[in-house]
Amino acid sequence: FLAGFGSLMQDVLWCFSQVKGTLDTGVTEADIISTVEFNHTGELLATGDKGGRVVIFQREQESKNQPHRRGEYNVYSTFQSHEPEFDYLKSLEIEEKINKIRWLPQQNAAYFLLSTNDKTVKLWKVSERDKRPEGYNLKDEDGRLRDPSMITVLRVPVLRPMDLMVEATPRRVFANAHTYHINSISVNSDYETYMSADDLRINLWNFEITNQSFNIVDIKPANMEELTEVITAAEFHPHHCNTFVYSSSKGTIRLCDMRTAALCDRHAKFFEEPEDPSNRSFFSEIISSISDVKFSHSGRYIMTRDYLTVKVWDLNMENRPIETYQVHDYLRSKLCSLYENDCIFDKFECVWNGSDSVIMTGSYNNFFRMFDRNTKRDVTLEASRENSKPRAILKPRKVCVGGKRRKDEISVDSLDFSKKILHTAWHPSENIIAVAATNNLYIFQDKVN
Amino acid sequence: MLGRGLKRKLSDYEENMAGLSSAFDSSRSLPYPLKRQLVLNMCLTKLQTYKMLVEPNLHRSVLIANTVRQIQEEMRQESNQQPVNICPGVAPASHSYAGMESPGISLQLPSGVGQQESHCCDLRSVEDPIENSLLIVSDDDMSSAISSILKDLDFVEDISPPTCLVPTGDDQPKFPENTGLKLEDDRQDLKGAECVFGSFEISNSTSYLKDLAIDDIFEDIDTSMYDSDFCCPPLMPPRSPSLATEEPLKTFPSCNSSSANNIQICRTDLSELDHIMEILVGS
Repeated sequence: FLAGFGSLMQDVLWCFSQVKGTLDTGVTEADIISTVEFNHTGELLATGDKGGRVVIFQREQESKNQPHRRGEYNVYSTFQSHEPEFDYLKSLEIEEKINKIRWLPQQNAAYFLLSTNDKTVKLWKVSERDKRPEGYNLKDEDGRLRDPSMITVLRVPVLRPMDLMVEATPRRVFANAHTYHINSISVNSDYETYMSADDLRINLWNFEITNQSFNIVDIKPANMEELTEVITAAEFHPHHCNTFVYSSSKGTIRLCDMRTAALCDRHAKFFEEPEDPSNRSFFSEIISSISDVKFSHSGRYIMTRDYLTVKVWDLNMENRPIETYQVHDYLRSKLCSLYENDCIFDKFECVWNGSDSVIMTGSYNNFFRMFDRNTKRDVTLEASRENSKPRAILKPRKVCVGGKRRKDEISVDSLDFSKKILHTAWHPSENIIAVAATNNLYIFQDKVN
Repeated sequence: MLGRGLKRKLSDYEENMAGLSSAFDSSRSLPYPLKRQLVLNMCLTKLQTYKMLVEPNLHRSVLIANTVRQIQEEMRQESNQQPVNICPGVAPASHSYAGMESPGISLQLPSGVGQQESHCCDLRSVEDPIENSLLIVSDDDMSSAISSILKDLDFVEDISPPTCLVPTGDDQPKFPENTGLKLEDDRQDLKGAECVFGSFEISNSTSYLKDLAIDDIFEDIDTSMYDSDFCCPPLMPPRSPSLATEEPLKTFPSCNSSSANNIQICRTDLSELDHIMEILVGS
């Protein structure tokens, strides 16, 4: 991409900024990153992993001395969010893997986030402590209690500075409301409620109440034999607190209005694209299953990700998407093999940039793709250690589908399907992206001139 | 983390399947019925593998079952349209091949399929390795196979039937019709009919457990670190008394609360716990 003179859209050059995680070739499964999320200001970046841990990075203040460093992200807090549990009644192990993290908007000095595994959602408070009280009357400096009768003078304890300590405390635990596995959580724009969705149900919670939740969607059939569809993702509208969407394994999206009924089984809008008969195969339904749904920041569009494409839908048009982007169409001829090795069930996420002009999603071989909605240009980039020199510009990658392979291209059969980029995040206002590649977190920024 | 499920060792069969699926992808001359058969076999293999997992993935199971149903439907329509099959000597739909037990399909390794040779499509020679590896499945056996495989899946106990708690006073304290119906059908479902995902429901003998707040039994697990300064509002049952009997409330009493309501609920639960223990030990 080159900056064009007089063009409205200046193309972005992406550069390597940082990588977090070990260099070891042997990956501990617990270290595999399972979710990535910036907070609302972009100051904090949270990751969750399969071992149930949450790591929060904080962007350092930009210094005038080193303008090219552009605010790096350093570890701010690490804590164990979920532990493995054993359900004795069903003889089932409940995985501690963090499925999703969602930040709450900041309302005071502390930060709050929701983290969830398959069954339990937790509200965590992350706060700083940089002062401690000194000069107690009833205990001495070592903490030993003083004899009250020996005290002749009273003083007011004072706060003295101490080394910064960041503590994470679980403030709420929302448990026992999901029979099936939680795939999504979404904070409502009222900041008082949030929803959690599993395969068949969606529950609405109030942050203050942990022992009750309202069931707002239930697609479980009376007879389980009739089950043909599951919920795959759900999200609240960014501005309208009564509106949310959920996607299904059949490639449909339903928009619901909570004002119409307490149980939102009847959708207000139903988004589905008619099937293209020329692309029909045994795997058509499987690849149509939506793995992620995201509202645009404006609230006017929704974006969905299925196995081979990303689609943008206008809320006012239900019968087809307004834009469809091919992520890796060269896999269409490999579907049987991908079905055999279960890759066809991989759940890729998708994200909007801050201005809703560019969308990003992951692929295999540690590739990730960006689509510019205005210029209709797209690029494939790679998250790899080889491209990890500081401020090195990422070179676009290309997959060769057959015939003559050019020097820098990679053929479809050489792709490494074990290196999949399922989770990515985009800073809310700047061109900074976080890309999770197995156990490594890559941070890329646009080039500063 | 505990390992879960069955660790698949690379076996001849799996290597064969991997080879078959690349053949599917790369070969343009593979006849459609053969491709369809291959996909069907892969689906059934997967479902059977999930059967051995402690907790099968519902999303995947649904997708695979839908694919099987789709193929099944296609094959049914074909057999309805063509009473005489293009492959001589093959009577579709009702054939039962040796080596296959009803209701379950025992997926024989390729070596056991030698007897299938004479029944395969005329487009391929008998020695074709792909053909020889496929297990030809009849329609009836497929239906019963799906049902039995999935019925045998380890169940997921559904302790949270839908409750439509009325949030505000001005709403009518009544449930939408379908909620009540669902509860009833849930009970019927428990009778264990030939249901594909019936195994995801709890079985008959534990149906009474549905009415309990089972989690009270495990109150002592994992709770010590949580704040006690958080006060949960006292648990209020829905205003209409009939609702309390028809629909189990999703109540999750706070372990640290000392309100009278909770003590009462704990006492009730203890007696129910005794009841459960009696039955479990007695049976």
